[in-house]
Amino acid sequence: MPMVTIDGRQIEVEPGTSIIQAADRLGVEIPRFCYHPDLRPEGNCRMCLVEVDGFARLAVACATPVADGMVVRSPHTSPQASQAVNGVLEFLLVNHPLDCPICDQAGECSLQDFYMHPDYGLHKSHVDPAEKVHKRKRIDLGPRIVLDAERCVMCSRCVRFSADVSGKAELQFIQRGNHVELMAFEDRALEDPYAGNLADVCPVGALTSRDFRFKRRVWHLEHTNSVCAGCSTGCNVRIDHFQNHIERVVPRRNPSVNSSWICDEGRLSWQAAQGGERLTQPASGGGYPPEIRWSEAVKAAHELLTDRGERPLAVLGSASATNETLLLLRRYAEQAHSEHWLDFRLAEEVQLVGEREDQLLRRRDKHPNTLGAVYLGLAGARGGLPAMLEAAQTGEIGALLLVYYPPLVGEESAGVAEGIARLLANVPRSVVLTTHRLPYLQGAALQLPVAAWSEEEGTYTNFAGTVQVVERAIIPPGMSRPATAVLADLVEHQVYRRPDADAERLFAELARTVPAYQGMDYAMLDSRTATTYPPEGRMHYGQEGFAGR
Amino acid sequence: MTNVLTRHIEQRDQARLAVALRGGAYEGLRRALKLSPAELIAEVTASGLRGRGGAGFPTGRKWSFIHPQPGQPVYLLCNADESEPGTFKDHYLLKHDPHLVLEGIAIAAHAIGAAKAYLYMRGEYASIARDVQAALQEASAAGILGDHCLGTDFSLQIEIQLGAGAYICGEETGLIQSLEGKRAYPRVRPPFPAVHGFVDQPTVVNNVETLANLSYILVEGAQAFAALGTDRSTGTKLICISGAVARPGVYEVEMGYPLLEALRREAAGVRLGRRLKAIIPGGTSVPVLTAEEAAPVMIDYESMQAAGTMLGSGGMIVFDETADMPKALLRIAEFYAHESCGECTPCREGTGWMAWVLRRLVAGEGRPGDLELLLRVGGNIEGRTICGLGDASVQPVRSFLQKFRPEFEALLPPARDAGPEWQRHGHGPRTARHGAPGDEALRSEPVDGPPDAAL
Ligand SMILES: Cc1cc2nc3c(=O)[nH]c(=O)nc-3n(C[C@H](O)[C@H](O)[C@H](O)COP(=O)(O)O)c2cc1C
Ligand code: SF4
Ligand code: SF4
Ligand code: SF4
Ligand code: FES
Repeated sequence: MPMVTIDGRQIEVEPGTSIIQAADRLGVEIPRFCYHPDLRPEGNCRMCLVEVDGFARLAVACATPVADGMVVRSPHTSPQASQAVNGVLEFLLVNHPLDCPICDQAGECSLQDFYMHPDYGLHKSHVDPAEKVHKRKRIDLGPRIVLDAERCVMCSRCVRFSADVSGKAELQFIQRGNHVELMAFEDRALEDPYAGNLADVCPVGALTSRDFRFKRRVWHLEHTNSVCAGCSTGCNVRIDHFQNHIERVVPRRNPSVNSSWICDEGRLSWQAAQGGERLTQPASGGGYPPEIRWSEAVKAAHELLTDRGERPLAVLGSASATNETLLLLRRYAEQAHSEHWLDFRLAEEVQLVGEREDQLLRRRDKHPNTLGAVYLGLAGARGGLPAMLEAAQTGEIGALLLVYYPPLVGEESAGVAEGIARLLANVPRSVVLTTHRLPYLQGAALQLPVAAWSEEEGTYTNFAGTVQVVERAIIPPGMSRPATAVLADLVEHQVYRRPDADAERLFAELARTVPAYQGMDYAMLDSRTATTYPPEGRMHYGQEGFAGR
Repeated sequence: MTNVLTRHIEQRDQARLAVALRGGAYEGLRRALKLSPAELIAEVTASGLRGRGGAGFPTGRKWSFIHPQPGQPVYLLCNADESEPGTFKDHYLLKHDPHLVLEGIAIAAHAIGAAKAYLYMRGEYASIARDVQAALQEASAAGILGDHCLGTDFSLQIEIQLGAGAYICGEETGLIQSLEGKRAYPRVRPPFPAVHGFVDQPTVVNNVETLANLSYILVEGAQAFAALGTDRSTGTKLICISGAVARPGVYEVEMGYPLLEALRREAAGVRLGRRLKAIIPGGTSVPVLTAEEAAPVMIDYESMQAAGTMLGSGGMIVFDETADMPKALLRIAEFYAHESCGECTPCREGTGWMAWVLRRLVAGEGRPGDLELLLRVGGNIEGRTICGLGDASVQPVRSFLQKFRPEFEALLPPARDAGPEWQRHGHGPRTARHGAPGDEALRSEPVDGPPDAAL
């Protein structure tokens, strides 16, 4: 394997690795605009120029593969490269409007980061602002993206994303020289279901997210790592929030799951979790009892579920619940005083779990944890919702504990909604743990409010069996609590001993008891160790920099 | 003088196959097809032929880089984009002796194993493209080109493609992109076209004039060709003389021919009996020569290099004593600013910036330090771009400024002028690296030497 020396430090890398990738691994900072780890290199911005021993000219680190014995000097150690990078940056500013004060990218803009950086920027302007080439601003590219052509640095990341990643090829440059301008054909609205990523790949404020624009200055945001719960793919995301309110969700790079991308539905799925009418306190028979404390609610639930005579207890989990919730749910079912019927299937989750909806990321199973439920043995012989409904109609079920999360992408299918409503109608003793006030849940004897996605910690197992951690970003509204806490309360009522409700310890138990998780350690789980780009704590090169906290 | 390229150029109806055949057309191809590709490459290498597209790269060597995987197609692209200012020789060849070019294409295709060749012509040549197409059809119908060329196993389809009028389409990777139907954004090398070229397959790009030499080399032999010209610059060169001369036009001269002699004899000297002031010897992309510098220069790669310039495309632009050099430079700079494809930062922004500065200088609105600014901007373009256009744009600026500096200085305002308002006060923060802190923000001239100066 080739051994390369960068700024005096050596590293061995796979053949075909580019200089910039080797430098990233070494932690040597090489400035860049057009390079993106998940896009084909184009070498157009010339910001990554480095000196290579034996080369007649400076080389672009992003498009030059390493060779064995190569000696590279970054701008930090090479005056020649430093001067070149200075020059390139100055060129980028010649026609840049520098409207940072009103630019939504400010604070996470590569151009701003570099020109404010004493190693690369801080030029004295030689250009009369009146002489600058002006281009179009505030161009409507549909529901996701707004284009400001004047701020564009022509790095072509968006063009490459559109052409090579999503395959829609909706963007192109027009004109020549310093009049080059990005354009969507005839300014048509982008049809790309992944268009939101364009705002992330854009290193400057040329492509901004219509959804997030002007909502919050980015330096006010707090960041929490999570995993999208929109479908079984489990794209890694970062939740950006402020004062207990989610402002946006951006992808977090994980080459083995979602590269640097997420779909637009997943990106906006937080709106489904936060929006609608949330259930904020325990409710019975569709109405809110005035003032009910959690201890009373749990006691009521316990009584509803246990006073059922000899008839069995039905427990219907959810493929949208965390593994930890499902573990406690299983424990609750197993410790029921009589026979129980445990399942989680509402419809075809298991059949759909791996099925692609398109060639990039989306899958047809709109649940984040179907495989987790299967691994926990929740797909029993007797069947899920349809079978339970049949049994309930003949009075075979004594009581029902349902954990239900409405889908974050798309609507619940009419069949499932109706099935749930009829099941609740046929089982008078029913307790539902849920996040929202939904018409088809109103038949429940008791509804308990639980935390939605982004409000609790735990793990999901995606379609490929990858276990990933979701962290808690914000506090659940009103009285709602994480389902694990509510279930722990219920188990405590059953066995007079409170189980652990802490996600990390619950996972330790999963690792001990579920064969698929043998030997796994919460602290080592994928989403925590997933490659972040660029390396933690360093400057962000556009929003794909998921520096984390 | 020996004519290699223009032997039949004045023959009436030379574009018609029957006429061309009478003059010996396709005899070179007939001989080439008797050779194996390796022998053919060896022959052309021995001739010393170098590319006439501008860089002078040895043609045989370029061909020898083609090593296709089994079953992989190879392409030959003939570059007839001819957009270098002052250059019009390919047009001349294609118009008057298209069979010479088509024959060259076929010979080169055989050498590299290409079954498909494209003749990429600039859009402005649409009218001659029709005639070349007619010649191609005639030669194909006669069994010379197309399937089983001249009755051999070798088949070659030649297709003519017109560009849409951009200088960058003459740059080999820009040409490839354009031919693929994409925006002509040059590609970063490596990989080189010999490995990943047209539709990602091994590809050779050769200039029209380069290929037009092949017939002679095959007919008369590599030795005969090598005997022409100088040691390292063999054969002849088409020169396009334009500007302040009495008889502008395309002339064929033997390599090593004295530059001023060519001016005098072929182009009938400087117009109106004026004195020669300067000459750009190889298209605007090469440094200008003053009359004194031009005196000892010969028309060959080495002599040009020794004089600090290049033979380039052979487009010679002549300036007489009345020429206004800043205006001429402005015109050239505007060309590059207009033709920069805009893909890479230094050329996209730098060419435009140089043109601006020159525009205001010529308009009498120059600012103190503008000449230094021009040179600094040029320095920040050179060697840092994707393709050669960036470097090319700097050559005229630097050489004009160096060789005709007093003319530029005369355009600057008196030193006491404080410059425009916005520049008088420091703009933005400044660090020690860019000059001393303190009162410099209030000084009148730009004080911050280039950011590079401190390094
Ligand atoms: C900006 C630019 C424009 C060019 N234009 C032409 C052109 O119009 N015709 C041409 O033959 N070569 C042109 N070239 C050179 C080609 O890239 C290439 O080197 C040449 O076609 C190779 O042919 P040769 O080896 O036969 O000289 C240009 C190069 C640059 C950088
Ligand atoms: S819009 Fe953004 S991503 Fe696209 S080319 Fe311009 S700067 Fe690059
Ligand atoms: S593809 Fe699935 S997991 Fe990924 S962002 Fe979209 S909905 Fe979320
Ligand atoms: S040097 Fe100029 S013409 Fe060449 S790729 Fe860069 S911008 Fe385009
Ligand atoms: S040229 Fe390497 S990052 Fe743009």
